[in-house]
Amino acid sequence: MKRKLLFLSVLLLFGVCLVSAQQNLSVSGVVSDASDGTPLVGVSVSVKGTSLGTVTNLDGQYTIKVAQGSTLVFSYIGMEKQEITVKSSVLNVKMQSDAQVLGEVVAVGYGTMKKKLVTGATVQVKGDDIQRLNTTSALGALQSQTPGVSIVSSNGQPGEGFKVTIRGLGTINNSSPLYVIDGIAGGDINSLNPADIESVDVLKDAASSAIYGARAANGVILVTTKQGKSGKIQVTYDGYMGWQNVYKKPGLLNAQEYMAIQDEIVFNEGDGLNDWEALLGAKTYARLQAGWTGTNWFDEITVKNAPITNHAINVVGGGDISKFSAGFSYTDQNGILGAPYASGYERYTVRLNSDHVILKAKNRDVIKIGENLTFNYSEKNGVGQGNLYWNDIHNVLSATPLLPAYNDNGGYYSQDDKNTDSWNQNGSLGNPILELASIRGQNLSRNFGLNANAYVVIEPIKNLKYRSQFGYRLSANTYRSLTVPYKSSTTSSSTDYSVNQSAGMGHNIAVENTLSYALPKISNHNIDVLVGQSFEKVAKGESVGVTNTVKGTEALPTLTDFDHAWIKNTTNVNSSTLSGEPWGESALVSFFGRLNWNYNETYMATLILRADGSSNFAKNNRWGYFPSASAGWVVSNESWAQSTKTWLDFFKLRASWGQNGNCAIANFQYVASVAFDQYNVYSFGPTSLGTTDTKKPGGYAKNLPNPDVTWETSEQSNFGFDARFLNNRLGLNMDYYVKKTKDWLIAAPILATAGTGAPVINGGDVQNSGVEVVVNWNDHIGKDFHYAVNANVAFNKNEVLRIANAEKIIHGQANVLSQGTTEMYRAQVGYPIGYFWGYKTDGVFQNQQEIDDWLDADKPVLQTSPKAGDLKFVDNDGNGVLNEKDKTQIGDPHPDVNVGFSINLDYKGFDLSIAAAGAFGQQIAKSYRSFADSRYNNYTTDIFGRWHGEGTSNRLPRLTDGSNTNWQEISDIYIEDADYLKIQSVALGYDFKKLIKNLPLSQARLYVQAQNLYTFTKYSGMDPEVGYGFGDSYASGIDLGSYPNPRTILIGVNLKF
Amino acid sequence: MKKYIFIVMAAIAFAGCDGLLDTNNYTESNTSNFPKNAADAEKMITAIYATLNQATASPASTYYYAAELVADDRMGGGGENDKETLALGHLLKASDSQWDAFWAMRYRGIARANAAIECLTDNQSFEDTQVRDQFLGEALYLRAFFYSELAEMFGSVPLIVSSTQETNVPKSPADVLYAQITSDLKKATEIMSNKKYNEFESGHATKWAAQALMARNFLFYTGFYKKDALPLVGGGTLSKAEVITMIDDCVANSGHDLVGDYRNLWPYTNEYTKNDYVYTKDSIGEDGNPLQWAGNENKETVFSIKYCNYAGWSDTYQMGYANQYILYFGLRNEKSGGNGQQATFPFGQGWGQGPVASSIWDEWASSEPSDLRRKASILNVEDASEGVTYTFGGDKQMEECGLWNKKMIPISYKTEVNGKTISWPNTFWCAYASYDKSNNGNDMQGAHYQDLIYIRFADILLMQSELKGDATGMNRVRARAGLPAVPYTLENLQKERRHELCFEGRRWADIRRWGIVEDVFTIKNTLTVWNKGERVKMTDGGYVTRYKATNGFFPIPKSQIDLSNGVLEQNAGWTGQDANYSGWNF
Repeated sequence: MKRKLLFLSVLLLFGVCLVSAQQNLSVSGVVSDASDGTPLVGVSVSVKGTSLGTVTNLDGQYTIKVAQGSTLVFSYIGMEKQEITVKSSVLNVKMQSDAQVLGEVVAVGYGTMKKKLVTGATVQVKGDDIQRLNTTSALGALQSQTPGVSIVSSNGQPGEGFKVTIRGLGTINNSSPLYVIDGIAGGDINSLNPADIESVDVLKDAASSAIYGARAANGVILVTTKQGKSGKIQVTYDGYMGWQNVYKKPGLLNAQEYMAIQDEIVFNEGDGLNDWEALLGAKTYARLQAGWTGTNWFDEITVKNAPITNHAINVVGGGDISKFSAGFSYTDQNGILGAPYASGYERYTVRLNSDHVILKAKNRDVIKIGENLTFNYSEKNGVGQGNLYWNDIHNVLSATPLLPAYNDNGGYYSQDDKNTDSWNQNGSLGNPILELASIRGQNLSRNFGLNANAYVVIEPIKNLKYRSQFGYRLSANTYRSLTVPYKSSTTSSSTDYSVNQSAGMGHNIAVENTLSYALPKISNHNIDVLVGQSFEKVAKGESVGVTNTVKGTEALPTLTDFDHAWIKNTTNVNSSTLSGEPWGESALVSFFGRLNWNYNETYMATLILRADGSSNFAKNNRWGYFPSASAGWVVSNESWAQSTKTWLDFFKLRASWGQNGNCAIANFQYVASVAFDQYNVYSFGPTSLGTTDTKKPGGYAKNLPNPDVTWETSEQSNFGFDARFLNNRLGLNMDYYVKKTKDWLIAAPILATAGTGAPVINGGDVQNSGVEVVVNWNDHIGKDFHYAVNANVAFNKNEVLRIANAEKIIHGQANVLSQGTTEMYRAQVGYPIGYFWGYKTDGVFQNQQEIDDWLDADKPVLQTSPKAGDLKFVDNDGNGVLNEKDKTQIGDPHPDVNVGFSINLDYKGFDLSIAAAGAFGQQIAKSYRSFADSRYNNYTTDIFGRWHGEGTSNRLPRLTDGSNTNWQEISDIYIEDADYLKIQSVALGYDFKKLIKNLPLSQARLYVQAQNLYTFTKYSGMDPEVGYGFGDSYASGIDLGSYPNPRTILIGVNLKF
Repeated sequence: MKKYIFIVMAAIAFAGCDGLLDTNNYTESNTSNFPKNAADAEKMITAIYATLNQATASPASTYYYAAELVADDRMGGGGENDKETLALGHLLKASDSQWDAFWAMRYRGIARANAAIECLTDNQSFEDTQVRDQFLGEALYLRAFFYSELAEMFGSVPLIVSSTQETNVPKSPADVLYAQITSDLKKATEIMSNKKYNEFESGHATKWAAQALMARNFLFYTGFYKKDALPLVGGGTLSKAEVITMIDDCVANSGHDLVGDYRNLWPYTNEYTKNDYVYTKDSIGEDGNPLQWAGNENKETVFSIKYCNYAGWSDTYQMGYANQYILYFGLRNEKSGGNGQQATFPFGQGWGQGPVASSIWDEWASSEPSDLRRKASILNVEDASEGVTYTFGGDKQMEECGLWNKKMIPISYKTEVNGKTISWPNTFWCAYASYDKSNNGNDMQGAHYQDLIYIRFADILLMQSELKGDATGMNRVRARAGLPAVPYTLENLQKERRHELCFEGRRWADIRRWGIVEDVFTIKNTLTVWNKGERVKMTDGGYVTRYKATNGFFPIPKSQIDLSNGVLEQNAGWTGQDANYSGWNF
């Protein structure tokens, strides 16, 4: 074999260069980076077909002896491999970053594709562009870079997730996209360090995601971790440390302002004036007289300069046979709020990807095996973030400033101190920090995740590839919490210790086989086909949990603090709750095929068909079939378009149509399950107290069965174009889409006479339509100044088209902003999912004359006997009666427009980048205090804008006690526009390699970065990015005091060895 | 190579991949494999009872609460902004969702009962048919109980008697509902055991409860609808004589009896409280023994809703495991140590709803001045012998007359028990050695385990008198209260029922079936009350007008009418603007 090769090449050489045959030639030159001309160290230079080779030195120089006419191969990590035939003794080479080349190849699911041939709507973000933003989660970095993908942090507490929606909400069920990490579906992107990511591809239209048919209805996000590359081993270290602070403090009333407002309430209520000395006790009163301005509870839980640290080491290397990529990272983020038990998040990740050629033929790897493995461990602790009753941020915003935080002994100010100091104001007012510390702050959850696959690729004949992959995903978690005795107020106290320990563990397995074949080219027709099969067994796992409560007086001496909060230390059982159950088990079997065709890379089309069987449906409704078709036309390739070449480099039209499925419902909806839960028990027998428990379990049909329930289908059409102008400096992409979710899986309300839960039915349609535009400009001024500007904008309109019951409504929950308030969000035909529902107001009655005129005009009022300062609720249907029918859309939490923006500049080793993201057209329902419930909650300074006399305000009504109609009815006074533009990141770096040429490094970049630097918004709350939706996945934009995202200053280095 | 690959793939593709998709539910059964045996059947029955607690989680929507507040012995009360309560007290509505929860929970109970009745009827797989029939009887009893509350409250409602029938059906008229109730109860009395009540675990419905409920329905149906017999499904009737046979059987054979002293029925005579409460301190009962609460499980309780130490906020309905009525009827508190706390010991804190109307106190004082039951049932805050210091207008209390019911109200204690410190508010349940606080949300809201007695033996004796027109049963009740025998007259009987059973949820049905609502409402119409601490004389409470407009029926929940697509129709008197409460302007 070798002989033959040699013979052939000898012949070839003779043919090419008869004169100088066999002559040894010393070739030398400098290898540099084409982009900026810097010499590249350690570039592998080898003679093709031989084992001869060398590497470039610190100045990028090399020398090698070859036969003239030989071909030299230059390879370097991150650069495109070059093969150059030797023609002279000096050969300087400029290496192109393979980013540009790779940029032409995008992941499409079960394979890659040249970007110029892609006919669907996809967006790719490079790992470098993610890492550069130094966010803890990759999703944070994607916010500004993925048009059409809405990414909103659930709240700013470290380790919290994001709400990700691709092209609008299509369901009230789980609307999160499918994550496919290294080919394994269902992983958690937050468990990866951004430094591990090679690229993220978002498949937005149905045709692109159709290959993942089942579960692709919400779009697909493909994550590829860094893969091995042949060449010299390269080690990179990326690390930063930073300081986080509250970006915007809420303006809370101080003690004097609070007292003035309280006085105004009692005055308006006609209750007689507050005798503060009697209410507060002499000591507190005297303190206030002496100038004490009360407690700012928010400040009390604020952590200044909360540190954040990240270290990531990556090693990449390999040869012809084996390649590997390994990474290790550590992240530690402290929270800016929650002192003395401030939130925190720590994460370790380990990754090892490798592939190995087992059998090689001359033009291909016949058998190749490989594996991708990532392991992560994270732990976090946090304060309560939930509804009104489990939200420490809300508590500190609404607590009275009149109570001190600490008593004279340095302990938390408690009910006992209130008694000592003769506190006589409402007894239920307590110390929110004592409550945080005692019942919500002491907890730790730990997560373990393993995402692994092993694969073999067999290519028996050229271009016929069989790939078989076994994927395995393991996730485990433990949780532990401690509550301790406390006495905060007359209504909030406990004499018990309670320890909770719970743990869960589960795993998924997935087996996948694909066969692909690229047909030989026949007169410019290029065809490749893929067929495949996958089987996935989901979430075989289990969980157990124990909560044990012991009386404070009986606590074991070992139960001293959170570190000792273990069930073993609570053996004096007072009462305990136990749980233990399997994780919901399900399975998915799929078959799929894809056909790609193009003619001369000018006309192209892709057909995909996928069939999925899901265990969530009854036997005869299990299978769903999801087809898609797409086509593209590179107009600029046409001969008649050549005249435009001077300004138009590339222009491609795209169109696609496809269907995807969603089976994300609880299993066993197709039968009437009989449940035996702990809330359907009855206590027969003598009334028992304490541990003698006679509660008997009940068994009941918990839902109406629907044996016909089947796949929800999302059908999407997409039209778009990709264009590049002016010598590739200007890029423009545009997409228009219509996405219709059909047979929406919902449990629509049914008549109570059914006597049990509503069945899940295929009962609705939702439509999202929108436009996405991406513009980028890349250029340089002179040799050294490079700049790039990227901007994207996405419009989306969401509308529910059908809900299959008489009412055409799916109701949201009541008591959201305050106890005693009605339902305030819902899904309803003709409106966006989760829109805010309530009364419109038309300002405030300024005087009695206005009220009289209003009533004389036969306009109705909601108030019993309206007074000046009351709200004018709008009789929306104009029928002279104010009732529920007049409630209407008063807000929409979904933005009309999302924008992303970035600028990157570099000049002689300096680089500056700015990233921004924004959203427009959405509203937030904000209430930092329980307006309808308690008069004693503190206010933010917004209350200075209330009505308190003619002409003082036409928006906020007069102050009244708790459940006055003005505040109790959900109306637009709670709704605010939340348009915002966030400067997410500004980073300035310098590469010292440019300054000190002989550094033994190829890069030594030092940078400073500011994150969340500034937010342009008129929203009055702390942070306009509010993902909270009262626990309903389709609701959002409810701000009860959400943990805000911090502003962070970082210093970091990027080192490449 | 290629060949093998294809073979492998084809094998995977067609080797019955459907089997891979089969999954098992390891924590729930389904209706194809449940119930299998008596233990399963007991769970089905238990789940029906559970809906009694679930309804209590929204007490203000329930029959008992509505009947108490709307009848003449109580006012709506609550705070100024408790609009639903104030509206209810005047037969008005403040919101369209006021009755949603109760409606839903009663139909939930009915659906569970239907399923149980279907699978137990003629089920041959039970070894012990007596066990099966006892369960079946309980399911029939509960279905009848649910429908009788719905029928009294809403007049006509959809009749659902099968788990497979269409659920969007029009309202069935009262005759059809009462036929179902009668047939269910008749069958229950026929198949259930003759054993004495105390041979069963308390809380379960017995044959004796079914007989009593039959009598109750007979009296309401024949009185309110002016009939002489109860209808049966498929035609035929159940006569008064048959009902009398049942009630005589119940009185003679059930094992139920009156407790020794009337006050021993109510928790303020519990051992931890009675010695510190001025009214009960050192008192000897009519039976010659010191007063001592007879407890939840006493011989006088024929059927009750059982409560336990299981309230909490984890589930929508979990608070219903504690007696929420007690909380709602407690005293409104504005400051530490005030109403509902030390100042009004032993009467504890709550939402101040359902204040007692001065009319019953005054009538009672004049018609039966020596009746110990008056002070045993009503707290007069100005009566020195109560030992309370009461503030009118606490936390904007509305419609108060200075009178509160003593039967269902938070009761606290002062004694230090088991070294436990006392903090306010608390309830006497906290004194029990094994009291478990962890499940109760908090003491004030979640620690009321006093059962709600639905049928008390005294009621049965009074029904016996009324049905038979003789004074025997009535005089037995009077004797226990230390009162002399009186001859039977309807007037005497009516007075006796009002006094003996006050605040126990019966008055509303009684005055409706006797046809005296307008008479008693005329009195209630112009009572003097304290609103937010100020005395106000009502010019017209609107009670009579509203009763004429509604006939005493409440509105069908609007959410259900909307969902029914027009199949359900609203009850008379509830569609116009005049049905809305627009503030206290009477």
